[in-house]
Amino acid sequence: MITPVLLAVLALVLTGPAPAVLARANWPYRVPRAAVILWQAIALAAVLAALGAGIALSYSIAGEPGKPKFDPSSPRDLVAALILAMTASVVIRLLWAVGKVAVGTRARRKRHRDLVDVLATPDGLIPGLRVLAEETPLAYCLPALRGARVIVSVGALDRLDDSELKAVLAHEQAHLRARHDLVLEEFTALHHAFPRWVRSDVALEQARTLVELLADDDARRRSGPRPLARALVALAGSPAPEAALAAAKSATVLRVERLADPAPDERVLATLTYAGAVTLLVLPTITIAAPIVKAIVKAIS
Amino acid sequence: MGDLERLVMEQLWAASTALTVREVHERLAGTRELAYTTVMTVLDRLAKKKLTERERDGKAWRYRAAAPREELAADLMRDALDRAGDRREALVRFVGQVSDEEAALLREALSRLDGQERTG
Repeated sequence: MITPVLLAVLALVLTGPAPAVLARANWPYRVPRAAVILWQAIALAAVLAALGAGIALSYSIAGEPGKPKFDPSSPRDLVAALILAMTASVVIRLLWAVGKVAVGTRARRKRHRDLVDVLATPDGLIPGLRVLAEETPLAYCLPALRGARVIVSVGALDRLDDSELKAVLAHEQAHLRARHDLVLEEFTALHHAFPRWVRSDVALEQARTLVELLADDDARRRSGPRPLARALVALAGSPAPEAALAAAKSATVLRVERLADPAPDERVLATLTYAGAVTLLVLPTITIAAPIVKAIVKAIS
Repeated sequence: MGDLERLVMEQLWAASTALTVREVHERLAGTRELAYTTVMTVLDRLAKKKLTERERDGKAWRYRAAAPREELAADLMRDALDRAGDRREALVRFVGQVSDEEAALLREALSRLDGQERTG
C-alpha cells in the first residue's frame, strides 16, 4: 500500500507546490534551455506518478495473494477494476487534448498563412519574410514543417533600424528553427487535459517566457545584445491601443534586463538542472518498475 | 505560388464584378507572362482556401473575392493580436505591449546597456 501513496504524493507535489516554487525562482532564467527540460520533466513525471499511483493502488487492492484471476463477484476486484478504468481515462483525456490542440493550432495557422500570403508582400531579406501594410508595430512567426513565415508590419519597420530588424528576424528564425511552438503545444495540451480546478497555467506561462529567452540568446549570439534590446524597447514601448490589455507583469522587462547584464558562465547550474530533470523522471519510473522487477527476479530464481 | 495568389486576389479586389479566368488572365498579362492554365489553377486554389467564391456563367466560372481586402486584413490583425485567446500558441509574437511603468523599466535597462558600451 506504500507505493501508491508515495506516487500520489509525488504527483500532487509536482502539479501544485513544485511549479509554484519554481515559477517564483530567478535562476531558471539564467539557464533557459535546461529550465525548459526541467519543466518538461516535471510535467511528464507528474503524469507518470499519477498513472503509477492508479495502477499500483488497483494492483494492491485486487485479489488475494496467489489468486491472480479477476473475480467479478469480489468487491475488492471490482474496486480495483474501477480504479484502473479511471487511470485509463486520464490517459485518454491526455491523448485527446494533445490531438485537439495539435489540430486546432494547425487549422488556425493555415488560415492565418493563407491570409498573409494574399495580403502581405514577400521580402527577400530572409526566406519566408512577409511585410504587412499595417501601422500597428508587429513582428511574429508562423511555424510550420514547410513554408514557415516571419511577418513584420510596416509600423514595426518604421521603428527599427537595420541592425535592430536583423536582431528581430534572428529571434523569429530561432523560434522557427528550434520549433519552440511544439514545446508550447505540449504545455497547452497538458493545461487543457485537466479539469479547471486542478490545472494552473504556471507551467505554460513559464514555458512561454523561457522560449523567448532562448530565441533572445540565439539573436544575441548573432548580432549582440544592443540591437535586440533596442528592438524590444522600440516595439514594446510604442503606444498602441492594446497597451491597456497587457498583463501586469510581462516577460519583456526580464528580457531586456537580461540583455543589459552580461551573462556569466552557467555550466554548473545548467548541469545541476539537467540532473534534477533526470532524477524527476527516474523517481516515478523506479517506483513503478521496482515491484515488477522484484516479481520477475523472484519468478526466475 | 503564394505571390501569384496575391496578384490574382488584387485583380479580384480591384474589379467591380466577378471575373472569369480569361478576364483575370488578361488583366495580369500587362505585368506578368502567365499561362492561362496557371491562372485557372491559382483561382481554383483560392476557392479551396475560401478566399474566393465562384458562380457558373454559361460554360465558364466567374470568381469574386470572398470578402473585401479591408475585412480580411482586419481578420488577420485580430488573429495576430489575440493575446487573451487560449490558442495563441499558433503564433509566436516577438514582443507584446507593456504598461507605462514597464516601459520606464525598459528604458532604464537599455540606458544601462548603452552605458556599458561606452565604458567597456
